[in-house]
Amino acid sequence: MTYLWTFRAVLVRFLIELKRYPLNTLSSLATLYIVFLILFTGARYAQGLGVNLFGEGLEGLVVGYLVWTFAIIAYSDLSWELMREAQQGTLEQLYMCPLGFRFVSASWIVASFLVSLAWVAALLGLMMVTTGQLLLLPLGSLVPLLLLTVAPVYGIGFMMAGLALVYKRIQAFFQILQFVFVALVAFPADTLWGKALPLSLGTRLLGRVMVDGDTLATLPRTDVLVLVATAVFYLVLGIGVFRLFEGVAKDRGLLAHY
Amino acid sequence: MNLREGEGTPTTGTVTALIVEELVKDYRTRKGPVRALAGVSFRVEEGEIVGLLGANGAGKTTAIKILCGLLRPTSGRATVLGLSPSRPEVARRVAALLEGSRNVYWRLSVEENLRFFAGLQGVPPREARRRSADLVARFGLGDKRRTTANLLSQGMKQKLALACALVKGTPLLLLDEPTLGLDVETSHELRGMIRELAVSEGKTVLLSSHDMGVVEDTCRRVVILSRGRVVADDLVPNLLALFQTRAYRVSLRDGLPAEARARLATRLPTLRLLEAERALEVELSPDQDVYALMDALREAGVAVEGVSRAEPDLEDVFLRIVRGER
Repeated sequence: MTYLWTFRAVLVRFLIELKRYPLNTLSSLATLYIVFLILFTGARYAQGLGVNLFGEGLEGLVVGYLVWTFAIIAYSDLSWELMREAQQGTLEQLYMCPLGFRFVSASWIVASFLVSLAWVAALLGLMMVTTGQLLLLPLGSLVPLLLLTVAPVYGIGFMMAGLALVYKRIQAFFQILQFVFVALVAFPADTLWGKALPLSLGTRLLGRVMVDGDTLATLPRTDVLVLVATAVFYLVLGIGVFRLFEGVAKDRGLLAHY
Repeated sequence: MNLREGEGTPTTGTVTALIVEELVKDYRTRKGPVRALAGVSFRVEEGEIVGLLGANGAGKTTAIKILCGLLRPTSGRATVLGLSPSRPEVARRVAALLEGSRNVYWRLSVEENLRFFAGLQGVPPREARRRSADLVARFGLGDKRRTTANLLSQGMKQKLALACALVKGTPLLLLDEPTLGLDVETSHELRGMIRELAVSEGKTVLLSSHDMGVVEDTCRRVVILSRGRVVADDLVPNLLALFQTRAYRVSLRDGLPAEARARLATRLPTLRLLEAERALEVELSPDQDVYALMDALREAGVAVEGVSRAEPDLEDVFLRIVRGER
């Protein structure tokens, strides 16, 4: 039960902080929606000129933007949170959790994923109303696919958090990565290398589920396996890199410094 | 760090809560390596309140963070109730207040902070609520229980940070500068609370401070660190006795005229005039007694208002030990 109570504590804290700053939360959502509107208007204009900016039409734009949003939330939630904790002096307290810091981070990721689902659902609703494109939402296939798609992003989040523990000011990296994620979402997943990159294959598979009516069971087995393998690979790599930097931070006494 | 389970439990019946042996910690800096701890060793028995005293940079925080598992020592060994600090299970037995009020979530209220830290420790919600209510009452935070930490005064933030360490219900507490930045009244209040922890709850406390008053008020034993080394480790009364002198302080009614001073100086060579306080301090030699002092004062025509024994406090002891007088 200890695991449950610790997870509950992390989740409750996550929700309290969201509730305490509703304007911040709503403005983030509004910003994401406004960016989408700009993209959508541009795409429709290009379509009028006979240019299809998004290979799979407007549905492709919606799905791609959805995955990108999810990736940004996932990535920034984890790495910003770790930097904030270091900055305010609570990171050391989290390290003194009997279940270990990694369990606290994992709880944080699950809490963040659950809340992100709600945001993305709200954003998706708004996007579908705006575009008039109704997408299919078989939750049983969507949720696991989303989780597998963003798992590499959590891995990258761990790497960045590790870097931040030691080198502190790495905000410039953060901003660059947002653009890298756009490229990864749009990257064609038709070669093995393309599939092995974070986000690209997941975005395609989500598109097939939401646009073409596929389910997890009808998707190509190999693609799903590659998605699982990349999710595990990047997550394990991220945690490994984080542990490496964590060791350096413990040697140099940097856990509480910012 | 080596670990041999159960090593903190000697066969004599008393339990050693903390064992620190030959701890060395070097930090890498741009100017080269800096040695924060240079072979520190001490022990803390269960139920003791021990003060870790030292000037800034003496190595107090480094020692405490190693015991929390937040820093890796360069060499040496530490055990916390028989476990290596690097093992997460240590956190079931030890809670720490580090860097004072920076240990709480400023966006959470008093109650929310307490419940979060209890939950982090794996305490079920109902028990977390009970502990939280109890600590809120004990620390006088009842009116502020729904106030977010950022709106609390410095003293209240510090109390909340201590309460957050206590809500975990561990038998061992490591407190790094718990009264730093507090006003006199709150500092005294917090000292009382810390003393009570050992007396009524049997907690073991290792408290670091550069404030002698805090340590003298709360601790039974003191480990004095200077430049990363232990320069003294003894009970507070023993340390005070170490510098106990036969010194007396004489309050003067009308000050000390030059002529009287000259006369006194021949009979009492250790005489020291404290002009601002209109008093003098004299350390008697082994062949002198208080009567000899009184005779000398009467013969010099000095009007005496009062006489008291000048006791050294921990600050005197600390300064003299660090200066290498003993």
